[in-house]
Amino acid sequence: MPPDRTELLQGTLEMLVLKTLALEPLHGWGIAQRIEQLSCSVFLVTQGSLYPALVRMRRRGWVRTSWRTTANNRRARYYELTPAGWRQLSAESAAWERASTAVNWVMSARLAPAGGMP
Amino acid sequence: MSLLTDLLARARALLLRSREEREMEEELRFHLDMETEHNRAAGMTPDEARRRSRLSLGGLDRTKEEVRDARGTRYLEDGAGEFRYAFRSLLRTPAFTIVTVLTLAVGIGGTTAMFSAVDAVLIQPLPYEQPGQLVRLYQTRPGEVNVKNFVSPVAYLAFRSQLSSFEGVAALGVYSPVGADIGSGNAARRVTVLPVSRDYFDVLHAPPALGRAFVRDEEIGAPSVILSHALWGELFAGSPEAIGRKFVMGGISRTVVGVMPAGFEDPLVAGVSAWVPLDLTPGLNPNEIRDHYLGVIGRLRSGVPLDQAQADLSHLMVLLAGQYPSVAHEGAKLYPLKDDVVGSSSRALQLMLGAAGLVLVLVCVNLASLLLVRGSERAHEFALRSALGATRSRLIRQMLAESLTLALAGCLGGLIVARVGMAAIIALAAGSIPRLSGLSLDPRLLVFSIAVSSLCAVVIGLAPALRAAHAEPRDALAEQSRSSTGGRRQLRVRRGLVVAQVALAFVLLVGAGLLVASVQRLHDLDLGVHTDNVFVFGLSLPDARYDSTHRAIFYSQIESQIERLPGASFAGGISRLPATGSYHQWDATALSGPLAGSRQGEVMAENRVVSGNYFRALDIPLVDGRLFDSHDDATTPNRVLISKSLATALFPGMPAVGQRLESGGFTSVVIGVVGNVAIDAEGQLDLYVYHAYAQVAGDRNWAHTLVIRSRGPWTALAPAIRGMLDGVDPQLVPYRPMTLADAIGQGEVQRTISQRLLATFALVALGLAALGLFGVLSYDLRMRTREFGIRLALGAEGSTLRRMVLREGMGLTGLGLLIGATAAFPLSRLIASLLFRVDPLDPSVLAVAGVCTLLVALISTYLPARRATLMDPLRSLREE
Repeated sequence: MPPDRTELLQGTLEMLVLKTLALEPLHGWGIAQRIEQLSCSVFLVTQGSLYPALVRMRRRGWVRTSWRTTANNRRARYYELTPAGWRQLSAESAAWERASTAVNWVMSARLAPAGGMP
Repeated sequence: MSLLTDLLARARALLLRSREEREMEEELRFHLDMETEHNRAAGMTPDEARRRSRLSLGGLDRTKEEVRDARGTRYLEDGAGEFRYAFRSLLRTPAFTIVTVLTLAVGIGGTTAMFSAVDAVLIQPLPYEQPGQLVRLYQTRPGEVNVKNFVSPVAYLAFRSQLSSFEGVAALGVYSPVGADIGSGNAARRVTVLPVSRDYFDVLHAPPALGRAFVRDEEIGAPSVILSHALWGELFAGSPEAIGRKFVMGGISRTVVGVMPAGFEDPLVAGVSAWVPLDLTPGLNPNEIRDHYLGVIGRLRSGVPLDQAQADLSHLMVLLAGQYPSVAHEGAKLYPLKDDVVGSSSRALQLMLGAAGLVLVLVCVNLASLLLVRGSERAHEFALRSALGATRSRLIRQMLAESLTLALAGCLGGLIVARVGMAAIIALAAGSIPRLSGLSLDPRLLVFSIAVSSLCAVVIGLAPALRAAHAEPRDALAEQSRSSTGGRRQLRVRRGLVVAQVALAFVLLVGAGLLVASVQRLHDLDLGVHTDNVFVFGLSLPDARYDSTHRAIFYSQIESQIERLPGASFAGGISRLPATGSYHQWDATALSGPLAGSRQGEVMAENRVVSGNYFRALDIPLVDGRLFDSHDDATTPNRVLISKSLATALFPGMPAVGQRLESGGFTSVVIGVVGNVAIDAEGQLDLYVYHAYAQVAGDRNWAHTLVIRSRGPWTALAPAIRGMLDGVDPQLVPYRPMTLADAIGQGEVQRTISQRLLATFALVALGLAALGLFGVLSYDLRMRTREFGIRLALGAEGSTLRRMVLREGMGLTGLGLLIGATAAFPLSRLIASLLFRVDPLDPSVLAVAGVCTLLVALISTYLPARRATLMDPLRSLREE
């Protein structure tokens, strides 16, 4: 059965890319594949959203690029995190932690028996 | 930190654009290939894989756009594209572009040049330390408090020693231009020399850069000299060894005692190359209490107000009167030096500024109409593009780019015009309007003009763009096919602009016309002398080489030699040219006749020393008696010629020949009466006493100007005379050769310059107005091509249509003339001070200006009308 594809949550693409690159430097295609793998195919990253995001992250100094040769002897642009990128990653993941925990709290709420707030 | 990185990244993206593009291309292609491979490996059929990749490819362009967007250089890249597009579209309509750029260039350049000139002359303070403390002192005549008279040496010495409110008082010998010849033969030339008192540089707070100023002991006309920086460079190659060295100047060997710093300019005399000490020895000149020939400047003590100093001065004059009763009623007055130096020019310059301002307004009006026209033209195009999906901001950006391109081109053109304009102003006026020689382009003014004009261009260009961009495309498109003239309000605005252009051009023409008429009246004035084919030059014979006898012989010989030259008819000389102002104005006392001994028997008269055939050279008629001849020399009794006016004044009702009078210390017999001569270019007559050079040569070394009447143009004669002089004495330099008309005209320099400048402005204005009118009216007609086509197809005559167009155009012109004429009435009063015997409301000038404007408007209207109606109706209808 094909997996349920879900839209990437707004603003999370860059965080996911940062995390992916934290594992190892990759080229664009590799990043897309890795995110798909790691998310168990829930997230599919299109080139239309990936590359503009990579350009933005490069502009902000979170990643740097270099042209290298792949295992198959092809030329590709590889991305890796800069120190600023590492800092951004930890900041964004901390924020994500807070946000997602809060969402979970709200979503797992039950109506309390008569008498007021839990 | 991240802002810096961001900017760097953007800059990098901008500069390495093509490389970025290539890399992006390669990266996306790699992604695509990997994806295809992946799909095949996942078991997709080749067809399916190809279909997938084609789909991906479809999104490829979108991706590229998004990447480009993400780069953040979008605006700049787009902007560059906008400018390129604007440039191309402007080139497609060359007439409009050229006219607009020219208009802008003239507006920016002309006003900048004019403002710079006014700033340099009127606004900038004098280039001396604390210039506000510097004043000029004059003596006044009894009963004529506002006459600025030179100062006598006795008075000057009193000023210097007894005026406590002054830190210092210095004198300059500015009575007559003093020059000295240096060098010899081909290298001989004349330099301007200024005799000054010892404290001159002190008063100016401008000490010499090398050496020293003059000292007390040198105030006897000692043979010292202080050089200007330029002359020092020339004569001594800038060597500091120059101090103490001697060189010959005007026949006298002088010792260099000082050198002035570079860029030092004398406040009162233009182009001084050297300063020498005055001779202030008391008792030197028996007439010295009454001989007024010194210019005097002073520096007030800090904190002393002008009126206190004036009170001090007046008090001193009273004391002097006690000591020297003969000058009891003379006073003295002081003026701030800057006002004194620029005073007479300020009126003319302010006027020029006003004219330049008017031209600027005309330029703006022109621009407005041109850009409006263009805006309306593009309304249709914008509507179309808008309907096709262009955003408003895109359209506005495009118009903005166009306006900015025009503004930029206009500014560049303006720079050129400003440089040329300033060079022209300097060439025209630097010799006569003080402080103008230092004129240079003031960056503030240039920036200001550029800013103003650019703002104007942008704002005016933006208005139609905003309108077009905000209009509903459907309306604009529909409007186009129906009315095809661009809307009612637009029409009113365009008509208003036409009227404004006509009015402004008319006003400027009237101003110029009035001045031209004034100059013409001056030319036509009878000054009592014949100026055609007469040229003059000064010659100074230095004391060291020529004593009085030799001087007399020299002039007489030179004059006869010149007369023998083939191109010459008469040659003579005089101490001061006619109609060039007052000189040697002394008392003339009748010693015989009915008024002798009475108060009426003493008048002030101009004294002149003449030689050779002066009167014949200038066609001054002999009314009675005889002219000077070889019998009148140093051995015979003093004889004089007097003007008719003087004869009537001193010897009324009787022949003046044979009477006796005294003037300038000479008791003489009147041997003849000659025709009246004006004292200035405005025809004011005066009283003259003429002495014979040979007779008075012993009195002093008189300034002498040779006057030569030639048969044909004098330029043919000039080299022959030069050669002859060289043969006689190679160290002599003919000084300032020019025609007599020019020499007289130099006194009228204010008027002449104003006239030329204003005439230039008016012509430029007329040209601009013509262009503007032509542009607007042709556009109007182009818009009505369809309408005309319909009318012609329905049977209207071409001539009827043309008449209709002409009527409309002339109606607008008429309105413009009316408004212009109404404005001209008060405005022409402003130039009344520059007019000479011309009524500010001179009807002939108004008529000529009106006719010129009418003609220009007629041509501007008729030509496009003719073109429009001569077109094939079918073509007109199809033209859209």
